[in-house]
Amino acid sequence: MIGGQTTRRLNLSLLAVLWGAAAVSAAAGPLRIHTVNYPLQYFAERIAGPHAEVVLPAPPEVDPAFWLPDAAVINQYQGADLVLLNGAGYARWVGKATLARSRLVDTSAGFRKDYLAAETAVTHTHGPSGEHAHTATAFATWLDFSLAARQAAAIRDAVVRLQPRLREEVEENFVALERDLLALAQQAKALGLYAKGMPMLASHSVYQYLAEAYGLNLRSMHWEFDQTPDGEQWAELEALLRRHPARIMLWEGAPQAGVVARLQSLGIRSVVFEPVANRPGRGDWLSVMRANLVRLEDALSR
Amino acid sequence: MRDSLYIAWRYVTHNRARTGTLVACVTLIGFLPLALEVLLDESERQLLSRAESTPLVVGAKGSALDLVMNTLYFDDEIPEPISLRAADEVAATGLALPIPVYARFRARSHPIVGTSLDYFAFRGLRIARGRQLALLGEAVIGAVAAERLGLEPGDHLVSSPETVFDLAGVYPLKMHVVGVLARAHSPDDLAVFVDTKTAWVIQGLGHGHQDVTTTRDPSVILARGDGKVVANAKLVQFTEITPDNIDSFHFHGGAEDYPLSAVIAVPDEVRAGTLLRGRYLEQDTPLQILRPRDVIEGLLENIFRIKQVLDAVIGVVGLATLLAIVLVFALSLRLRQREIDTIFKLGCSRGTIAQLLAAEIVIIVGLSAAICLVLLQIVDAYSGGLVRSLFL
Repeated sequence: MIGGQTTRRLNLSLLAVLWGAAAVSAAAGPLRIHTVNYPLQYFAERIAGPHAEVVLPAPPEVDPAFWLPDAAVINQYQGADLVLLNGAGYARWVGKATLARSRLVDTSAGFRKDYLAAETAVTHTHGPSGEHAHTATAFATWLDFSLAARQAAAIRDAVVRLQPRLREEVEENFVALERDLLALAQQAKALGLYAKGMPMLASHSVYQYLAEAYGLNLRSMHWEFDQTPDGEQWAELEALLRRHPARIMLWEGAPQAGVVARLQSLGIRSVVFEPVANRPGRGDWLSVMRANLVRLEDALSR
Repeated sequence: MRDSLYIAWRYVTHNRARTGTLVACVTLIGFLPLALEVLLDESERQLLSRAESTPLVVGAKGSALDLVMNTLYFDDEIPEPISLRAADEVAATGLALPIPVYARFRARSHPIVGTSLDYFAFRGLRIARGRQLALLGEAVIGAVAAERLGLEPGDHLVSSPETVFDLAGVYPLKMHVVGVLARAHSPDDLAVFVDTKTAWVIQGLGHGHQDVTTTRDPSVILARGDGKVVANAKLVQFTEITPDNIDSFHFHGGAEDYPLSAVIAVPDEVRAGTLLRGRYLEQDTPLQILRPRDVIEGLLENIFRIKQVLDAVIGVVGLATLLAIVLVFALSLRLRQREIDTIFKLGCSRGTIAQLLAAEIVIIVGLSAAICLVLLQIVDAYSGGLVRSLFL
């Protein structure tokens, strides 16, 4: 029979296998953090600074929300010390991939009850399992900058858990990031108050959290900024304008000149408000968000 | 003495049948209890080493032995399911790392073990060929399972239906074998490992099918409208997860309610383990937390009780055999009376005659001991595999 001391040694060795890997890798070099979108990458880089190598493996041309990585990329995620998830149903591939639960951090888990629905679910019935619905949750949580700050706090906690010795530095970095995020929130709130419920449009349904947090009266179309809407889509817009006389339309990217002109003829100003789910061509998440708010302010003040 | 041994040796080799029978009897009397001892020692070692390396198991209240045997050895007896929430609760305490285990299904008689990547690190399992699990529908198989099933990375393995009479049940899932584990000399060698999500697809909790919102086949759609689509059984449900259809696979309901058979809890220190055990002391919790070592020690105590009975039976049989051997010798002395008289008349003393007979016994017992030793060496060499295949 094996005695208590041996058991303790075994337990400790197990602990070493499980938790020690992270500590060893931390001692050997920076933390390896993988994220599912750019906002989380930006937050993690700001919070962990030089102590982490933060990677977003999604190619720059894809929307990380709908990207499906191959096995080789998933293998990279498996090798990370931390995998930062956005939650709210973002990056559905995570639900179909094998990742170590102990390394996953759902950064929005703390405000699950505040998730917003994306659109009406389609309920369907087939087979013996009965009626079920494919519910959709709005996932661009970072567009509510207060929620973004809570996601950043979750990242801070995860980094400190892995690297307790960095607590002070990480906390300091987090406070600076939080300050920036809350400044954005304040600016967006002021814009919401200024808009006073003015009807607005969104080319795509990604701005739910922005609208909810800052009181924007937004209705979403299903238009792509790099495509020309067809006749049916224009008719849909005109029908919507009768009920919702919007004068501003938010776009995820710069729309085509012809589309901008036709919208202008309908009295609608096009405003680019990039959600920056992936790495921007220029600047970083904060600078793009600041530019988004400046453009919106400009459009509202005209 | 050498002369006596020589004459005795000539005698026993001349009467081969008699000698063979006697040697076999004596060998069996010695070999049986000793071999049983070796096998039981090995069983104890294996059972305890697996139990010792698994600090705590959380599962549904009920048979502790079923829970531990299913979690550690993927035994056929499946404990009452618990939900993934149990793993989340362990994680939320911050006292231990939870590793989900869902060992319910089988593929060609090998257990399918739904778990997370943490399990492989926890057991020190290494991929020998192929790669680690990455996507839904993939499987990594143990070394022995791979050998027996003749599978290599790139092959497929179909899950077995739980019952052939479940005609309305879920379709078997064709899994992609992506890796083969290095031999671990443990029950993991016999298992087929999948992600817990794949195990839930096997159970039918997750599935993939044609897009009911876009299909226009009137023979599939019974009713459509008002955000609701009713399809009939003709709706194609996928039985294999491929890059083309993986996006259509989905789960219904909250993942926290999905079933597991157990959660292995790995505390970060002994004190944390004690504190965690304290959390499950309330009477109203449907969960129990066990130290597999305690359960296995209880099992071993029962095994040793059975062994004592077996030892007694073997003892009685051995005594009876010994008496029979004595009888054989006594009878053979009678049969050899003329031969003994001749030896006596040739001038041998009674002591020499006794020496001759004693030398025969020494040779028979010596031969038996040698054979017994060789057999025990063989049993000892293969005891690990024997115990795994016979008992575990």
